[in-house]
Amino acid sequence: MLEIFQYDFMQKAFITGILIAIITPCIGVVVVLKRLSMIGDSLSHNSLAGVAAGLAFGLNPILGAVLFSIAAAFGIDRVRKSFPRYSEIAIAVIMSTGIGLAGILSGFVKNSANFNSFLFGSIVAISDFELYLVIGLSAIVILAVIFLFKELFYITFDEEAARLAGIPIKSINFVFTLLTAVTISVSARTVGTLVISSLMVLPVATAMQIAKSYKQTVVFAVIFALIFTLSGLSISYYADFKPGGTIVLVGILTLICVLIYKNVLSKAIVKRAIRCHNHN
Amino acid sequence: MKRVMVGFLCLILVLSVMILSGCSNNTIDNQGSGSGKKISVYTSFYPMYDFTKKIGGDKINLTNLVPAGTEPHDWEPTPSDMVNLEKADVLIYNGAGMENWIDKVLNSIKNKKLITVETAKGLKLLDNSDKSEDLMYDPHVWLNSMLAKQQMEAIKNALVTADPSNKDYYEKNYADNAKKLDDLDQEYKATVAKFKSKDIVVAHQAFGYLCEAYGLKEVAIEGLTADSEPSPARMVEIVKFAKENNLKFIFFEELVSPKVAQAIAKEVGAETAVLNPLEGLEEDDIKAGKDYFSVMRENLEVLKKALE
Repeated sequence: MLEIFQYDFMQKAFITGILIAIITPCIGVVVVLKRLSMIGDSLSHNSLAGVAAGLAFGLNPILGAVLFSIAAAFGIDRVRKSFPRYSEIAIAVIMSTGIGLAGILSGFVKNSANFNSFLFGSIVAISDFELYLVIGLSAIVILAVIFLFKELFYITFDEEAARLAGIPIKSINFVFTLLTAVTISVSARTVGTLVISSLMVLPVATAMQIAKSYKQTVVFAVIFALIFTLSGLSISYYADFKPGGTIVLVGILTLICVLIYKNVLSKAIVKRAIRCHNHN
Repeated sequence: MKRVMVGFLCLILVLSVMILSGCSNNTIDNQGSGSGKKISVYTSFYPMYDFTKKIGGDKINLTNLVPAGTEPHDWEPTPSDMVNLEKADVLIYNGAGMENWIDKVLNSIKNKKLITVETAKGLKLLDNSDKSEDLMYDPHVWLNSMLAKQQMEAIKNALVTADPSNKDYYEKNYADNAKKLDDLDQEYKATVAKFKSKDIVVAHQAFGYLCEAYGLKEVAIEGLTADSEPSPARMVEIVKFAKENNLKFIFFEELVSPKVAQAIAKEVGAETAVLNPLEGLEEDDIKAGKDYFSVMRENLEVLKKALE
């Protein structure tokens, strides 16, 4: 057996990494196309407010984080309706709400422990319970994405047409928002905010450069996410880097390579076209 | 345009009324506190607070700036803290880089009569062995009870300067507590002498002075604050170290997430336990009567279980 798999924590890191890499881009495709790329950051700031509220009112802080994250996701959905063409306004409004609430609520916490430590997540420090949680979550998300594939595709591009086609957009949107919020808040505590919010966007952005259809984008995004996570984890193990940052930077480098490749390719096509034209 | 101007003026008016009323509140406050004779003393965080309380007793009005249970590394003062410091007589802090906010605060207050005490000043400081942080020295001096004694002496001297009328009271309290610190030191020496192993794995590098004083060796899981994660290679290093030395316990702190310590402990089949660096104490614990001495003895018990 390879040395890297000899440790229990690395095995868990790889299993969790693979699952997160499969489910996050599935949600990420819809999120990016709805122009909500920053939703990961927004929801994690609201999770922090949830931890503060939980501690202030004697609730379980983790439960508080999940509830606030769900409320924030629905808040974004609602604000987005008021500014249909500027989705990023909704993200910014809800993010500021979260930061503001966290600041004020933290003042009510008597035994103000270190808030961040409740949200601390690292892919190399995952407990058994969290592993099972991620397995259960992944099953739900994968099933939802497979069964609602056509519906999600419709509401992503044109809610109006979706309504005319007889798709219950309200309930589909409800399910999707709920899934997004739970996925982000659970994974943020498990693998860290950085990994989850970048896996939501980076693989999708890379896939969009080369895919020719919606379905291809989803499939390529999952493949890219798997490449980022698995190579990022291995590199961080052998090179003594922080795992979260390594995964993200592998993603960025891949995206840059794909962009350069596409640029060179399209120039070559144009050149060839000009040459053919001159010959004629 | 006119309407905008009028609205703007109204806003300024409302704001200035609010500021003025805030100021007048403060002056009332001032008069209120001026009538008491006790000196008002502020401390930066828990060990400083506890030491000062032991010496000042009921002769001083003592306030701790960093609230119970908060990491003193990432605290910042509120406006009312600043207002209070403007009116304070004595400010006691650890120094050596523990309170990274102290220079900014000291530069921005104009309180001329304020006596500031940097208790770690003049002590023999250990170099910071964690190069990833920009701290020059390891600031956690109070965990060596002999250095804590010197810190207490500096606090006593400051209180005597600020309030000479109660000199005898402060001197007596200092002598009592210095004796208790000597006892604690002896207890540690006697217990550690019986330890079979001298290696401990801790969450963050806080126990350098304790280890130096009693011949222990600490291995810290790198920079383990809530928002930094260890690299897998570092974790493997610690796992190997723990296995080779047959460690039974991996230590973590109350104020830091235990997840990494738990992952490592599970890997090597060890247990986790709290080793408290006393950077803060929760309010419930303070109410339950815990203090520097009781927590230091708890730490000794935990070390005994792990190393004997």
